[in-house]
Amino acid sequence: MSPEFFAGLILLIIGTWVTAFPRDREYLTRLINLEIPAFGLLLVALSFDETLALLTFIAVSTLTTFVLVLLIERRSQE
Amino acid sequence: MGRRGRGMNTLLLLFCAIALIGGLYAGYARDPYAKLIAIGIIGGGIMPLIIVRGYVDVAAALALIIPLSTIFVLQLCKKGAE
Repeated sequence: MSPEFFAGLILLIIGTWVTAFPRDREYLTRLINLEIPAFGLLLVALSFDETLALLTFIAVSTLTTFVLVLLIERRSQE
Repeated sequence: MGRRGRGMNTLLLLFCAIALIGGLYAGYARDPYAKLIAIGIIGGGIMPLIIVRGYVDVAAALALIIPLSTIFVLQLCKKGAE
């Protein structure tokens, strides 16, 4: 297999672990850590040559980040 | 895709290592700004891997979208500092 496949898998595992058990338990830390497995999944999709999956996943993960940022802002205002 | 040379494979491994180092540091750092910079390092490691495969269009879209999500998170970082 290609090296990016394994790099993607390692990034997925690291990112998931770090998001589930962050060093300081804040929403912001978890939100930023959530981008690490996103990049890992992107590398795995890249190693299988799925262009459409790549483009869709990039767009949707940014949208998710935006929605979560709005949610955390609203929650901190209360 | 043709057969890659040995130097090319070494370069690919190097970029994979850059992405992994960025991922490790993004998970390890505590300062949100340091985390964002580490995520930029992951992006820097991933971009050549995408271009080597020939997906220049995906790379162009990614170059627009990664800073966008960084800007979103940066808004939240500023609010948290105040």
